[in-house]
Amino acid sequence: MGLADVLLGRKKLKSPAQERLFALSTARVTLDTELGLKTSGAGGIVFKPLSAGEFVRAENDLQQVLDAVAGESGSKLERKSDDFGYEWIVVRDADLEDQVTTVHAVAQGLEEAGFGEQLLAAAFKFEPKFGDGKDVYWVYGYKQGAFWPFVPTGEKDRDNAEELELKAKLENELPIEPDLSRWFGLFNAPL
Amino acid sequence: MKRKSYGRDAGLSLRMLFTSFLLGLLYVVFAVVLIQYLNFGLVPVLVIVIGLAFFQYYTSDKLALRAAGAKIVERDEAPELHDLVERLCAMADLPKPKVAIVDTDVPNAFATGRSPKHAAVAVTSGLWRRLDKEEIESVLAHELSHVANRDVLVMTVASFFAMLAALLTRFGLYAGMFGGFGGGNRNNNSNNTPVWLIVLAVSILTYVISFILIRTISRYREYAADRGSALITGAPENLMSALQKISSQITMIPDRDLREVAGMNAFFIIPTSVKQRTAELFMDHPPLEKRLAALEKIAREMGRPVA
Repeated sequence: MGLADVLLGRKKLKSPAQERLFALSTARVTLDTELGLKTSGAGGIVFKPLSAGEFVRAENDLQQVLDAVAGESGSKLERKSDDFGYEWIVVRDADLEDQVTTVHAVAQGLEEAGFGEQLLAAAFKFEPKFGDGKDVYWVYGYKQGAFWPFVPTGEKDRDNAEELELKAKLENELPIEPDLSRWFGLFNAPL
Repeated sequence: MKRKSYGRDAGLSLRMLFTSFLLGLLYVVFAVVLIQYLNFGLVPVLVIVIGLAFFQYYTSDKLALRAAGAKIVERDEAPELHDLVERLCAMADLPKPKVAIVDTDVPNAFATGRSPKHAAVAVTSGLWRRLDKEEIESVLAHELSHVANRDVLVMTVASFFAMLAALLTRFGLYAGMFGGFGGGNRNNNSNNTPVWLIVLAVSILTYVISFILIRTISRYREYAADRGSALITGAPENLMSALQKISSQITMIPDRDLREVAGMNAFFIIPTSVKQRTAELFMDHPPLEKRLAALEKIAREMGRPVA
């Protein structure tokens, strides 16, 4: 942030960093073979809905984007909202790579419609290949352009030990958010 | 299609710059006078003031939290509050501050800390109980905007020379009483006005003018934080209803409770005392009506329905 922001106060939120999302596709093999995690078939993008008036206008653009993306990718798209007043676009696709591509396309569509600054995060749900371990979410923060793991163990609790282990194992393949205090959880994610 | 940005209040930016410029100018004049008349005694005073300013700056978070009787809460004590703060921080691209609760029925909130990394936000239990979630969110976003805009730093810098002036006024008075200011200054002006009187007069003048200017800057920072809240939440109407609720509750509650937290006024989202409505010039917060009007303007720009 510059001097102008300090003198006059911020006038705008940070734009999203979209590109590094694809690192998750690359990390797919490690996730699968070393950690025994496979996609649960759902990923999603969470954003803060903006003003009613503009949103109605952008809504049409967004719907067009969603339809086009859905048609091209074969993924199923759903719109949801959560308890915090954030909107979700949930992407259902059995293939992780397609999930990532579709989420990216949706995020780009949102940014082109002028809602880039409202993008909070993308989340991808994984489950253990064998047995019944915990579900794991990989969360991508659009402001930071980095991933972090999120392992909920209930309504309000998360398994920090597991998360740190995941971080250690994937550090070389995924851009991981270094500041642990920014690893916000997405409890009750509609994925 | 690129969305235009909201709340880009050119008038506000201009007024902020102009006030800062006036304050800077005042301080330069003050410094010149001091150097002119007080070439000996100035160094120790400067050291004291710089020390005080640094102390205030570095301990601002702990001092403010303690002064308000705020207790830092961990995640398991207030999970919902932590969730709200975490998401808002992510939107605002801020590290997560410490989260604290003040156990009082007065609904209010404040933020403190010298930098985003050493920040704390506090809400009162009254705020948590009486406002609904969207309103609390907008209040937290307002406080986080204070953090993002580095208001503690700005206000510390802005009040630095005012502190110096206040200290010199006091020294000047002592000097007047006990004769002489510093060491050998008196000898040069045996026929003229004594140095301590000039310093005293200039210090008082500087203090009074800077007081008004600092308050003015403080009010502008409030508008900027209100705008920040609107940007982060995308819904200025939530902050509008929160402000209305908070201020009406504050006027309703008897004075005894209010005085307990009165020392914290500059940090709170709404000052606890609302008696001096007329003396806007001396207030550190803008009047509610003006804040609501500014938020309404942002809401209109966003195309948001205003109740």
